[in-house]
Amino acid sequence: MTALERLASARATLRAAVALRALFWGAAIALALLAIAGTIDWLVGAPRALRMIVAPAAVALAVIVAALALYRGRRVRSTAAVALWLEERVPALRYALVSALDAPVSSPALEREIAAVQWSSVIRRALGDALLPPLLVLAAAATLLFALPAGVRARISEPRAGDALLRASSAPAEPRNRLSPLVAEVIPPPYTGEKKSTIDEPSSIGALTGGHIILRGQGDASGIIATVAGAAVSSLPRDSANTWHLDIVVPAKPAAVELRDRRYSRSLILAPHADSLPVVTLDSPARDTVMRTPKGALTLGANATDDYGLDAVWFEYIVSSGEGETFTFKSGMIHRVDAGNAHAVKLTGSLDLDSLQLKPGDLVHVRAVARDRNNVTGPGIGVSETRTIRVPRASEYDSIALEGAPPPDVDSSQLSQRMLIILAEKLQARRAKLPRADVVKESQAIGSDEARLRQHVGEVVFSRLGGQQGTEDAGSNSAGSAHMTPDQLLAAANAATQGSAGATDFGGDETPVVAVNRPLLEAYNAMWDASRSLEVGEPGAALPPMRIALAAIRRARDAERLYLRGKAPVVIVDVSKVRLVGKRDDAASSPRFARAALDSSFERRAARFDAAINALGTNPAAAIDSLLALRVDALESAPQLAAALAPAIDALRAHRDATDALVRARRIAADTTVVRIDSPWGGAW
Amino acid sequence: MSSSTFTFATAQYDSGDWDSAPLVPPNIIDTIARYTEIEVSPTGVIVALSSPDLLRYPLVYLTGHLPVRFSDAERKQLREFLDRGGMLFVDDHNHDIDGVFHKTATEEITRTIGEPKLLPNKHPLYSAFFKFTDGPPTTSHELNGWGDNLVHKNLFAVMREGRISVLYSSKDYSSEWGYHPDSKRFQSVDNTKFAVNIVVYALTA
Repeated sequence: MTALERLASARATLRAAVALRALFWGAAIALALLAIAGTIDWLVGAPRALRMIVAPAAVALAVIVAALALYRGRRVRSTAAVALWLEERVPALRYALVSALDAPVSSPALEREIAAVQWSSVIRRALGDALLPPLLVLAAAATLLFALPAGVRARISEPRAGDALLRASSAPAEPRNRLSPLVAEVIPPPYTGEKKSTIDEPSSIGALTGGHIILRGQGDASGIIATVAGAAVSSLPRDSANTWHLDIVVPAKPAAVELRDRRYSRSLILAPHADSLPVVTLDSPARDTVMRTPKGALTLGANATDDYGLDAVWFEYIVSSGEGETFTFKSGMIHRVDAGNAHAVKLTGSLDLDSLQLKPGDLVHVRAVARDRNNVTGPGIGVSETRTIRVPRASEYDSIALEGAPPPDVDSSQLSQRMLIILAEKLQARRAKLPRADVVKESQAIGSDEARLRQHVGEVVFSRLGGQQGTEDAGSNSAGSAHMTPDQLLAAANAATQGSAGATDFGGDETPVVAVNRPLLEAYNAMWDASRSLEVGEPGAALPPMRIALAAIRRARDAERLYLRGKAPVVIVDVSKVRLVGKRDDAASSPRFARAALDSSFERRAARFDAAINALGTNPAAAIDSLLALRVDALESAPQLAAALAPAIDALRAHRDATDALVRARRIAADTTVVRIDSPWGGAW
Repeated sequence: MSSSTFTFATAQYDSGDWDSAPLVPPNIIDTIARYTEIEVSPTGVIVALSSPDLLRYPLVYLTGHLPVRFSDAERKQLREFLDRGGMLFVDDHNHDIDGVFHKTATEEITRTIGEPKLLPNKHPLYSAFFKFTDGPPTTSHELNGWGDNLVHKNLFAVMREGRISVLYSSKDYSSEWGYHPDSKRFQSVDNTKFAVNIVVYALTA
């Protein structure tokens, strides 16, 4: 082996030593940090927020220390530096090694001189100096860490909610407060499908009514007394794996839980929230209505939502018939749908009015109903508003003025001539920017609606000309136009519309039937022209005849509209009856005044709050309990105050400054809002 | 009847069918009595637009289907009524913005006092008594696609010194509220509540 080969071997050994030293120092420092943190946690307990950062901090520190160690050993990267390092520690070399390194060609004399010197002992000593200290520190830290209780190691390496119970207290067993640490496990009812959660050191626990709260503490259960809202709980604390636990079913109303362990006590609040009822809205029919001829099908539509999931949704109807003292009812459930735990369901259907055999005076009540999956405190049933469909009697004189029902499907599918013109105008405006195929497609869609509308107008015209219901294809056999085919009718329409400008004036030798219907015939004819243009994708060409059709329809409507004229009926409103103030002439309606403040609950709460604050100086624990009790009462009646008290109580328990929170709570507790009534009508309603 | 009693007045004008909604006044009177303590006359009155009696009423309701053409006397009296703080509520019984009533009535209003402008749906009118967060309530005629087949999102108004002087509606409340007040018991939701806002606004704004 030449001198340079021996030097390279020594350099490789030293490089490995530097790398190992960095690794060992990094691991040793990380373990030492974990061991120190674990020891502190074991002795005095460390909050979870602090423990959460220990492991990341250990890794970061290890990386930094290892990097520093590598930096300090950076000289081993250079062969010359290693040669000098050896010359320094082995004087017998007499600079032969650096001379051989610098020589351009190998010198036999130098080789012989270097070969006579051994430096392996120097290398071994250097390895020991580099690796021994970090190994010792690493061993000590590992020993300390593994000497700690297993629960403490878990608390340091994997901190999580509820691990307070894993910490074995260093205090003697007898006087230990078994109510601290306290962990609450909140288990929602199974039907919600939600996961359980864990709370450390709870002072207030929000949970769904019907769920379970399991309180856990260290030690055995003997001697621990628990009361909920002043009454002993049915399930007593029980032992399990060196911890006691107490299972509480979440009540319907807020309650305080009192735990006592010899001279120790602890209070916490159960703040339940209920499973909301399903929210159901009935979209169709949109409002109450009156139907003179209850035929066909009534379209139904509803939406239902629930916070935890729906079980089923359906429509209900009730038909009431009769008058005076005799009424009969029949009801039914239709379109029931299993919701399959969906949070929102859209329900549609129809109610066949023919099958109900409605008579004048009947009332149909329709509503949508939804049921949730709450099998603990429910099921919750949500209902929509009820819509009423009334079939008026002949004697209900005003009923004929009301026809609030939406048009049947066949009519609602037809767009008005005015709307078709708007669509055609929009298409014409966009025409330059659209491909020809799209223009034709949209134009044909409008043309299709135009054709349907034309067919509807045709039905009106042909039924009039024929004296019975008919279509443009069917014609008629009645006397008025028995001889006329549809083509002849169209010819008559053409002839009629190409007459004088006065659309509704009778003129020439046309028949009165044609004359009266001439505006509609004119519209019908123009609609044909418009349809043809729309079919070939020419909305611009279709617009003039469409406008002619619209104008003709209006003329027809104006010509046939009947307006009420003459003396208006006098309706005298019985104001007293409307206001439900009786019929006696000598008794005036009692005036209503703005009410005084309902109660002094604000004052009472403020007094309790003040008393608790006063007790803070002398008996902080009692003061905190008083504030807790006040919060329990306020959860239902004054939720704002309850919300404001929570941070104040938490701060007091943690021995933090609670001034701001208390001031905020005090302001809410002593709310002195005054309602000003300065309107002339103020307080009258 | 004391002078503070509110009397609902319907405007009579020479042209058109001013009496096309005879059941609207009693229905509104019923609603006023039902929800408020306003002293209200049990019957409405019909007041000629050209009559000086117009000045006795704080709110006047005008509707119809046919063309509206004010005479000079009507225009003069209406202008004085509005100058003195009266409020005119005009409703298009046709529910058709291309109809003759709309065209002629808006033309006459513009000629008399000024052009009706879009009334924002956050205007105090919509919270004068009941809260209408979405603006004017829709009517059956709008929802059923009758008339002009449009749902009008806003009312129009001519404002004077920040106050509505003329309220103009294309929503056809005249049809919506045109039923006998005794039939209100059949309605699960009273559709005349907006009338209370109009009356209260006219009396207090």
